[in-house]
Amino acid sequence: MEERTEEGKYSNLILSLKVFFSNRTAVAGMVIFLAYVVDALIMQFDPRLLGVTNPNQFTYNFVNPVPQPPSSQYPLGTTYPGINLLQAILEAIRVDLGYSMLIVVGGAVIGAVVGILAAYVGGYLDELLMRFTDIFFSVPYLVLAIAVGFALGRSFTSMVIALIIVWWPIYARYTRSLTLSIKESVFVEAAKAAGASMVRIMFKHILPNTLPPVVVQISLDLGSVVGVFATLAFIGFIPNANTPELGYLASLGLNYVQSAPWTVIFPGLAITLFALSVNLMGDGLRDVIDPRRRS
Amino acid sequence: MISIKLWVYVLRRILILIPTLIGLTLLVFVLVHIQGNNLILAEYINPRLTGQARELEIQRLTQEFHLDQPVYVQYFYWLGQVLTGNLGYTNTPIYSGPVTTAITLFLPNTVVLSLFAALLIWLIGIPLGVFSAVNRDSPADQGIRVFSFTLYSMPIYLIAIALILLLGVYLNVLPFSGEVSPQMVAGLSWFRDGISYPTHVLLIDAILHGDYAVAWNAFLHLIMPSLTLALAVMAGIIRILRASMLEVLEQDYIRLARAKGVPERVVNNLHARRNAMLPVVTSFGYTVAGLLGGVVVVESVFDFPGIGYWTTQALLNNDIGGIMASTLLFGIVLVLTTLILDLVYAVVDPRIRY
Amino acid sequence: MERVKERAKVLEIKDLRVSFHTRRGVFKALRGVDLELYKGEVLGLAGESGSGKSTLGLAIMGLLPRNARVESGEVLLDGSKDVLKMLRDYGSRDVKFDPRKNEKLIKRLNKELREVRGRALAMVFQEPLTSLNPVLQVGYQIAEAVYYHDPMRLVRRAISRNRCTQADLRDLMTTLKTKGEEALIEEVEKRNLRGLEEQILSIWRRQDIHEAKKEKLILSLDKHKLDSKDRLGISIYLRGLQRVPVLGRLAKDALIKEGYRLAVEILTYLGIPHPEKVVRMYPHELSGGMRQRVVIGIAIVNNPEIVIMDEPTSALDVTIQAQILELVSSLKASSNRSFIFISHDLSVLAEVSDRIAIMYAGKIAEVGPVKVIFEEPQHPYTKMLMDAIPTMDKTELKAIPGSVPDMRSPPKGCSFSNRCPFVMPKCKEMEPPMVEVSEGHKVACFLVGERK
Repeated sequence: MEERTEEGKYSNLILSLKVFFSNRTAVAGMVIFLAYVVDALIMQFDPRLLGVTNPNQFTYNFVNPVPQPPSSQYPLGTTYPGINLLQAILEAIRVDLGYSMLIVVGGAVIGAVVGILAAYVGGYLDELLMRFTDIFFSVPYLVLAIAVGFALGRSFTSMVIALIIVWWPIYARYTRSLTLSIKESVFVEAAKAAGASMVRIMFKHILPNTLPPVVVQISLDLGSVVGVFATLAFIGFIPNANTPELGYLASLGLNYVQSAPWTVIFPGLAITLFALSVNLMGDGLRDVIDPRRRS
Repeated sequence: MISIKLWVYVLRRILILIPTLIGLTLLVFVLVHIQGNNLILAEYINPRLTGQARELEIQRLTQEFHLDQPVYVQYFYWLGQVLTGNLGYTNTPIYSGPVTTAITLFLPNTVVLSLFAALLIWLIGIPLGVFSAVNRDSPADQGIRVFSFTLYSMPIYLIAIALILLLGVYLNVLPFSGEVSPQMVAGLSWFRDGISYPTHVLLIDAILHGDYAVAWNAFLHLIMPSLTLALAVMAGIIRILRASMLEVLEQDYIRLARAKGVPERVVNNLHARRNAMLPVVTSFGYTVAGLLGGVVVVESVFDFPGIGYWTTQALLNNDIGGIMASTLLFGIVLVLTTLILDLVYAVVDPRIRY
Repeated sequence: MERVKERAKVLEIKDLRVSFHTRRGVFKALRGVDLELYKGEVLGLAGESGSGKSTLGLAIMGLLPRNARVESGEVLLDGSKDVLKMLRDYGSRDVKFDPRKNEKLIKRLNKELREVRGRALAMVFQEPLTSLNPVLQVGYQIAEAVYYHDPMRLVRRAISRNRCTQADLRDLMTTLKTKGEEALIEEVEKRNLRGLEEQILSIWRRQDIHEAKKEKLILSLDKHKLDSKDRLGISIYLRGLQRVPVLGRLAKDALIKEGYRLAVEILTYLGIPHPEKVVRMYPHELSGGMRQRVVIGIAIVNNPEIVIMDEPTSALDVTIQAQILELVSSLKASSNRSFIFISHDLSVLAEVSDRIAIMYAGKIAEVGPVKVIFEEPQHPYTKMLMDAIPTMDKTELKAIPGSVPDMRSPPKGCSFSNRCPFVMPKCKEMEPPMVEVSEGHKVACFLVGERK
């Protein structure tokens, strides 16, 4: 019996990989995503590989602050004040990717625990959670993030906290609905009949089954979170930030956008390409876990 | 009989709003109190007061809001003030004074902008989604898919800048800053200090005063911000609509419609589209949330004087009054819009009433 | 049986071969089907699931999905119109099959067949729960079928009712009572009131109400005059302005409104209680049996020559099933239509059919008059099917051993050979030809050939 399920899992995995890798655009998305991750890792652990000494700060050049067009010295040109755009983008990817990961995973963990608890316990707790999440859904997420971040003080940390606060209700609702359907399934009934404790059922039986769809949701959300994160930085959430961040980087060139459009276009492309890659990858992953699309 | 049931549904749906709205005020209250009394004082003190007068005002406010009492007591006093329309002061470069006045100045512009964007979504997004599904795998469909997927991945400020560069700078066909060209309104009797009267929406006021040249100019200024908003929101709608249309086209009732000889045009646009719209309408809550959130960015990129512009100005100038009032306002607008859309849904889908 | 021969063929299927291209392989759904349908008969089509009987129904309508390849064969309507020509021209070519190209052709086919579908050919699907559009009113869904095929019928109905007077109705009533229906039609024609006769007759033919009540209803027809909006709509239509945006809407609204009245008549005829209310309802408010009647109503509203019923009773419970069967029998008796009745249930077919065709693995195994098929079946498969029908006196049911062959690679020779108790070496080698054993009774089995 044990053996058969192991084998089943194995063949299932192979089929999943087959489905994923037969989708060319999804694979392309994954390759781009991995390139971003590699860049972020290099910047974190050995930035000198890419010729960067301090990835935590922009390197200003006030001698020649006006944006320069792309040239052999600056392949993507420079932005105000004399920042090498290519280097700045490579640095900023680490910051954007890191913070976005933190936000999405943080939101997903909080949301998943609350969602499973509410759905499994049900009754008043469930109702309470639904009304509670309603409150967070009642304000447009960008406005909510601004308000929460503002109340906490304008900094990167409060921006991350604000976005986690904005994002966890989505995951709470999502895992709740997933749990409600899993709760009715045979293996949970069987575990109950075998006398497993509630905590054990929740975390041993339900949580692992909600994971695949939540992971897909994470990968899809990563694209939007990077966008929102950059947008907040772009509208000037953090005063005088000297941190490489793609939205902030784009806002530096905003005054020159008519004469030097590359100052905004290249940081923007970096974000769009990232969001595009995770969306493509997420779509591919969704095909893998959705049995309807699989056949 | 059906209409009675519909009314019961409407009533029930409105009742559900009450806890949400209470929760919304709680949320704003918590945010205002997260730093002790500093923020609430900053919100309600008239920024023009200084020195002794300011001290006296602080004392008066402490008493009025019962700031020396436990937090949950404070909530009710604060709520009382909010319900009577006292939302404090805002102090930003674009407007300085009572929040309630600021709202009457900025909200109408945002409403017009959003409605215009919604119209564009309706006129462009929905036909594109239907067309894309009906002509599945055709070059046009592939193009629409790439287009919507890319738009979907772009942060909204980037869409705005792309449009500015394309339509504003290179083609130079549309203005992209403010609500009107300054020289157009110089010396007009109904336009003072950047504020138009009586509705505060320049386009409407200009029409009311018969100033059609100004109205046309204001209309041109409206196109780019609303197009940006529309494109940002449209991307998601096209994707959902295409997917649901493809699913609907496989249904038995579509086959029956063909079996009874209904023309293809009617099969697609009536039989299939009406059903395919249902998931789109369900996701309208998120759409509207995205639209309203997008307003913040779009208005600040285009310097369009609406609530969103005010919000970012408040943020940049550390103005708590503006931030909290706009949070509350955006919340109320979103909640009411979702209510309206839910009711529309009930009318569109006959199954929902029961 | 002699009469069957005399009747005109309304539909002829010749060597039809259809396969489905899926990711899991090519399924050969129809492998050379020959079949005829005569005027005024009910042809029962029986077979297990997967035998291709539903595909055959869809193929006749030209409603195949995009992955269906028509490899060869003809579906001839009235002896001339070749329904599947376009798809066959592509499907019979020796190139790699591309469903996208096929889909383009299907779209063109949909346009080409629009006039035929619903008017000459109509179909009732298996699932009444899913075959009505959930967001459109029942009345609209019936009215629409008329609106897109015979809008003038709606115009005539509306105008004649609007124009007729109490005196007209009294005269017509007298004619109908003394001289009969034919005379009524003549009289209506004479008074230039065409369109009124079907309204009068639909009341006259009702069996659920008393004579006096019918008379009262007929005489009150002139009370239902048109309002100004409808008059405007109809005059727009008559001036040919129905393609102008806003005006066209008015015209359609007016005609559809008349269509609702027609829908009420149809639903009354089909035995639905309170039809005036039902036409304003949405499908989800009706029971399965009611919905199936509505679907049948849509199928017959234009008086098509051929109605294909694809397992119309399978999704319904037994009492409703009996009602629907009764309805089909009465439809057959009252008109000169031909029906193809598809079912896996032989006892159902026995009740309604004139002839029965037995399908197995995409081919016709045996076809003949219902009596012959039930009393002296020749094909071993038919015989085994007969034994599998549950009856009162038998204590043991005989199931057919084995299962339907994999249609991706159907066996060489007779497809039934792997389950047949009388299998001969020859059966594994060659496909048995269709042999006519008696008048109108054909069997595809070597056993039959041997005996002769």
